[in-house]
Amino acid sequence: MTTIAMRDQQLLDTAIVSSWSKIAPYWPLQNLIAVNPLAGFEHLPFEQALQQAHGYFQQRDLAAEMQTVNRHSIKWLQAFFDQGQAAISMPYRERGLLASLRLMITLDASLHRHDAEKLQWLGALSEHADEVIAEALEFLAIPVTEHGQFLTLMLTTLPGWASYVRYRTHWADSHDSGHPHQVNAAEYLAFRLILTCLVWPQAKQLLATHEQAVSSAELPSAYTTMLAREQAYRVALLTQLKGAGSAHQHAPQHSRYAAQLVFCIDVRSEPLRRAIEQQGNYQTFGFAGFFGLPVAIENAVTGASHASCPVLLKPNHKVVESPVGSLQNCRKAHQRGQTLKKLYQSLKYNFTTPFVLADAMGVGHGVWMGLRSLVPATAGALTTRVQSALGQHQQLHPNSAVIALPQRINYAASALRMMGLTEQFAPWVVLCGHGSTTTNNIHATALDCGACGGRHGAPNARILAAILNDGEVRAGLAAEGIEIPSDTTFVAAEHNTTTDQVELFSSPANSQQQAQLAVIKRDLRKASEQNSDWRAAQLGLTARGAEAHRATALRAQHWAEVRPEWGLARNAAFIVGPRAWTQDIDLDGRAFLHSYEWQSDGDGSALTTILTAPMVVGQWINAHYLFATLDNVAFGGGSKVTANITGKIGVMQGNGSDLMHGLPLQSVYASDQQSYHEPMRLLVVVRAPQARLNAIIAQQPILQKLFGNGWITMVCCDPQLQQYFTLQRDLTWCATD
Amino acid sequence: MMGIEQLFHHDVLSSVMMVLIGFVALCIAVFAWRYLAGDRGKGAFYGYLLIVVVCLFVLVMADHMAVLLGAIAGANFGLVRLLGHNRQWPAAQQSARLAWRNFTLGWLLLCAALLILYGASGESSIQAMLDSDIASGSLWLSSSLIVLAAMTQSALWPFHKWLSNSLNAPTPVSAIMHAGLVNGGGFLLARFAPLLSEQPLLLTAIFVIGIVSAILATLWKLIQSNIKQMLAYSTMGQMGFMIAQCGLGLLPAAIAHIFWHGLFKAYLFLSSGSAAKEPRLSLHYPPSALQFLLALTAGVSAAVIFAATTHKSVFAGDTTLFLLVITVIAGTQVALPLMQANKRLTKPLAFTLTASLAFVYGLSVSFIEHTLAPLAMSHPQPLNIIHISALVVMTTTWMWIIFAHKSAPEQVPKWQLKAYVALLNSSQPQASTMTAHRNHYQV
Repeated sequence: MTTIAMRDQQLLDTAIVSSWSKIAPYWPLQNLIAVNPLAGFEHLPFEQALQQAHGYFQQRDLAAEMQTVNRHSIKWLQAFFDQGQAAISMPYRERGLLASLRLMITLDASLHRHDAEKLQWLGALSEHADEVIAEALEFLAIPVTEHGQFLTLMLTTLPGWASYVRYRTHWADSHDSGHPHQVNAAEYLAFRLILTCLVWPQAKQLLATHEQAVSSAELPSAYTTMLAREQAYRVALLTQLKGAGSAHQHAPQHSRYAAQLVFCIDVRSEPLRRAIEQQGNYQTFGFAGFFGLPVAIENAVTGASHASCPVLLKPNHKVVESPVGSLQNCRKAHQRGQTLKKLYQSLKYNFTTPFVLADAMGVGHGVWMGLRSLVPATAGALTTRVQSALGQHQQLHPNSAVIALPQRINYAASALRMMGLTEQFAPWVVLCGHGSTTTNNIHATALDCGACGGRHGAPNARILAAILNDGEVRAGLAAEGIEIPSDTTFVAAEHNTTTDQVELFSSPANSQQQAQLAVIKRDLRKASEQNSDWRAAQLGLTARGAEAHRATALRAQHWAEVRPEWGLARNAAFIVGPRAWTQDIDLDGRAFLHSYEWQSDGDGSALTTILTAPMVVGQWINAHYLFATLDNVAFGGGSKVTANITGKIGVMQGNGSDLMHGLPLQSVYASDQQSYHEPMRLLVVVRAPQARLNAIIAQQPILQKLFGNGWITMVCCDPQLQQYFTLQRDLTWCATD
Repeated sequence: MMGIEQLFHHDVLSSVMMVLIGFVALCIAVFAWRYLAGDRGKGAFYGYLLIVVVCLFVLVMADHMAVLLGAIAGANFGLVRLLGHNRQWPAAQQSARLAWRNFTLGWLLLCAALLILYGASGESSIQAMLDSDIASGSLWLSSSLIVLAAMTQSALWPFHKWLSNSLNAPTPVSAIMHAGLVNGGGFLLARFAPLLSEQPLLLTAIFVIGIVSAILATLWKLIQSNIKQMLAYSTMGQMGFMIAQCGLGLLPAAIAHIFWHGLFKAYLFLSSGSAAKEPRLSLHYPPSALQFLLALTAGVSAAVIFAATTHKSVFAGDTTLFLLVITVIAGTQVALPLMQANKRLTKPLAFTLTASLAFVYGLSVSFIEHTLAPLAMSHPQPLNIIHISALVVMTTTWMWIIFAHKSAPEQVPKWQLKAYVALLNSSQPQASTMTAHRNHYQV
């Protein structure tokens, strides 16, 4: 290669990278992860990011020719990325996106209309994506200085699909479902460019239109409303914290707690924690719901596996969960179910046979439709029974021994230290993950545990409980100064956020333990009923008491339910500190709570982890809800009422549209007109010395970016100075009254 | 003055249709109460749903031609308003417009047909028209027009565009449409059956129209990668099959198909939110020759059981044989995964399961046939070469999936690639009903 060619190549590579940097990833329906749709603009001050976003994503109109390009893109992308909807899928997908689609495009007369010139141009294109991009940019006469910008527009004019590709190229995990059909960042751009060249040779105009759009973009009026709302919330919360903090500072616990319960930092844990604390002598903690374990989980029965840790981490271990009963029986039951499903699918996805299927299955489908609509609770109970017969709902236990002993000790120690539970262990320590149960819900996984990669949290809880109950691990912990009394047992549990139930996974050894556990279970039941009451009100129901419990449980089973639960809507704050500090405050289910004891974290390493991992995830969630509420079309999924699942990976609206990434309307709006979520940026309150925070921020560029550009408001409650400080955008502190 | 009872004619056909419409509408009304919570168009949805259901009830009981025409127009108007449920969304309005144009065409065709019959018989009552002697020219013309009208209503090729472009509608609207209005074509053919049953040539034409739609729609269906488009083409195929049954002179079987398919498809639409949770399982094709032959044996026994439960003769040599061959195919398909499972008990299980499904299938069909028996609508036709050719095509395409289709072949013949692209393009929604710019979608 000549130097000039090399320089051009470098310039082009830079342009490709910079264009993709504007695009946030979009996870598929199997594990919807909350992300900031404007993650690519976090290097800008929040207000500027809003303006840029308006220019890129919120334009009312798009050139008609570019819409044609989009229609063809949508057609081919659906066909290429389909994960099992079509029975006859697009040929040659295993050759990768560009190779296969280029072949399809040359056969697609609706694109080239048999125009000899266009066909010749197509035939002459280079093989490599980079070269195709260069050739196409030249064909469209895009000036070199505008390459990056034009490529960006190729992505942002069909943002949903670009986000999905971004997920595939940068985030998709090998532990999640396999992706046999390869795509890379340059290939996708090349594909979009080829279509553009064929349909709209004058596409250069996009640049001018965009420039105009950006220059005329103003801050949305919602921004002013948001500022006022943030201010009011901040003042109210800090007032509450100041009042509560002084009361609790010198009230150490003398008697031993009956149980300590560790919940996920998720905002849905907070009202349940408050409820269980009121039932008796219980202490609760907040910790990331994956319990610090970077693992992938494999189900021994189904063979399915998934990464069960935050997407920022890669799993280091693969833990297999097997049923407590006979594995072979469960496998058989599972096989039976699979054969029946195969039978049904084989009839449905062939020629001729569906005509008989409809007649033979009509009565069954009719009866089932009637049951599910008219007596949904009965239908739900029946479903559970069938699932149990097919070997689901079996209690599982993990083979945590695949993790080497020193590693297990290490995970156990750092988890306990980070949650601030290193002494005064209760006889029972419940590690409670969470997950949701919904029926016929496209966006079901958006309600599951984000810290577990958009999955249920029980497996991680079971693994950590097994590790902490292990004698060798306890000996190792003792050597590190963490003495766990021999009568302390760790129990895994899962909080069902849709029904409020908490299920304990345990088999107590003796009758005394049984009696103790029965009390804990009873109190958890009371707490969950109390929580149902509160949630029923949030859902706009008038039912209270047992009726509220039934009403929320029904939402989990009803196949027409579009708002089974509110998920993390109305999230507003992220509080890092001891529970004693916040225990007497009703935080209204709006706060992520991370336990932290500054005295036991001398070097600040635990706080560094909290701020750079769970807090960042909290900010993703916060921005995910914020933007889906501000503009549910550009940054959300639109109404569930007209949603159409494509390729089993995402949704479109109706006949065909961009991939609608983001939360659907019903997740953040109580009605078409009335939002439920209150869009506001995350308020982080940390109880730690200001100097320690300064040291951490100075070392962490990501924190400087988020705090300095106003994506997060940081407040420090300095326990030594006994004063509150707010971090300003220049990263200096300002005392708060 | 005419008494109100003279405007209507109630028979078992009306009852069967009313049971279907009433039950599906009830389920959908209950479903939508939750599903449309907070939707600004909820009130309008129930209003138009009521219009559709009332009009359909009137339609299936109508005897006076004006009542029939009025009811069809009313039901289709209600449906069009439901299709355009989201008034802020241009693509949804375009879908509604497309459907309205199609229905207007169908309505005009039906108007013309009825006016010709009125002119020829001097009767405005449909039952009276059917009883009168009508000159063969008028008979031929009016029945052809009725067939065309039926094709527009039941979304047969080339009048299928309104259906495949209708997915901008709320899910419950799709459900009522695929269980209700789309069946209108079959109902029309059943109502005017006495006119059609005397014209073998026309019946064969109806059969061809139905089969072409059935095969084309199945091809389209199998290549769709979004759930709702797949269901829409599936309905189009089922309607093709149903109309083909009409063409075979097997009207009771066609009505049975309307009834059971209606329940089947309404359910599938309402549960379409679960599509992402149902992974496609590998079917391990092709099976060995022995597995296939065993499955085929089970399929033949299924056909025997079906024939016995529906009182059809295996050796009739008429068009009932068509249904029996289809049953052999379906029975074989049911048995195949079990034959392939290769476990000790699966082979006897395959026979038992196939037999029981054939029995359920037979019962379902014969239940409707039995109910409709007083109308004496069954007129099996002698088998002809066209029927047999259709069977050959239906069998070959089915076996192609089992034996020849590979999910990721190394080489694909050029003609197959071209066919794939052509089918994909011809099954795309019309440009105006797609949302090519995201922000054109509005809540």
